[in-house]
Amino acid sequence: MPKNITIYTTNTCAYCVMVKRFLSSKGHNYQEVNLDTDPAKQQEALALSGSLTVPVTVVTKQDDSREVVVGFNLSKLAPAIA
Amino acid sequence: MSSEKKAIDLIMVGAGPAALAAAIYTTREDIETVLIEKAIPGGLAAVTDWVDNYPGFPKGISGLDLAENLRAQAERFGAQIEMGEVTGIKRQGKHVAVETTDGTKLARAVLIATGTDWKKIGVPGEQEFYARGVHYCATCDGAFYRDKKLVVVGGGNSAVQEALFLTRFASHIDLLVRSTFKASDVLLHELEKNKKITVHLGTTTDEIVGENGKVNKVIGTHKGKKVEFETDGVFVFVGLKPNTQFLKNSSIDLDEIGFIKTNAKLESSIPGVFVAGDVRHGATMQIASAVGEGATAALHIREYLEGTPQPSY
Repeated sequence: MPKNITIYTTNTCAYCVMVKRFLSSKGHNYQEVNLDTDPAKQQEALALSGSLTVPVTVVTKQDDSREVVVGFNLSKLAPAIA
Repeated sequence: MSSEKKAIDLIMVGAGPAALAAAIYTTREDIETVLIEKAIPGGLAAVTDWVDNYPGFPKGISGLDLAENLRAQAERFGAQIEMGEVTGIKRQGKHVAVETTDGTKLARAVLIATGTDWKKIGVPGEQEFYARGVHYCATCDGAFYRDKKLVVVGGGNSAVQEALFLTRFASHIDLLVRSTFKASDVLLHELEKNKKITVHLGTTTDEIVGENGKVNKVIGTHKGKKVEFETDGVFVFVGLKPNTQFLKNSSIDLDEIGFIKTNAKLESSIPGVFVAGDVRHGATMQIASAVGEGATAALHIREYLEGTPQPSY
């Protein structure tokens, strides 16, 4: 079980909706950083993912290690939150 | 306990508008319906900024809302949407075997509605700067270009629609159209009114150039002369390719581009395997058409299933 999950999103991003729905379906809470309402966080998202795209999901594990998943990528997201 | 594997009445490959519309019909007929989607329910429609030409929404509707509505309506009647990837389809006795990354599922009938995806331009720099300056989804990535300059490539409805959407963020957009516009007059009128977009007809896109991991210009050709456009990013909407790579080892008939051929009942060359939406040879690439084809396919599938007794394995 992760310690913390943060998702960087935008208002119009359909894949962001999918990630949020997937996390909710697995019973996970998450913190959302909306880049439309908080554009200053874009650099943070870019630094984490290396990509100019959302969603960016940052999973912090119990040992404080982090896993960053770019896009709606179930093959990476599912094991990251297990 | 029986070791027999039960066949699902109907498996749909894809969960875009065509499949979701078909699922509304089949589930209301008590046909067990499982949709397998590898990316996003709603398909390309879900990542389209705004849909103005879908009947029933006089003020238009966002692509995401339309996709969500279709999904909710299909699920209301019992459609089961599973996330996964189909890797092959073949006839197996009286059933159709659907091979997925999670194993093989058996179905009495299959609907392929995998839609299309954006074509690449195929120029230097396009792959190198993918998602770091070259993009194919304005609603996903446009927000990273607040007060930046952009190039949009393409001259169809999607290119114009997405260029207009990107003016929410960008300070200026150069729209590069290889020949002439194929977009609708309504969109072209909107384009004329938008002062942030400069149109360059008859301009090819030859190279995307950058430094230190960032795009800084696009090189093209206009009337035989080299032209350059300073930019922070490039959005590409130059046409659609069918999502049929998973069928390359199947016996299904495809046209020379890869779209699936069907008969008048929307049935493919494999009995019991039907096709609807953009992936079908002859499709018009409209959401309304895809939904109509989905409904049509559902009725033919019902007819097919009624004539096919439930076999056991």
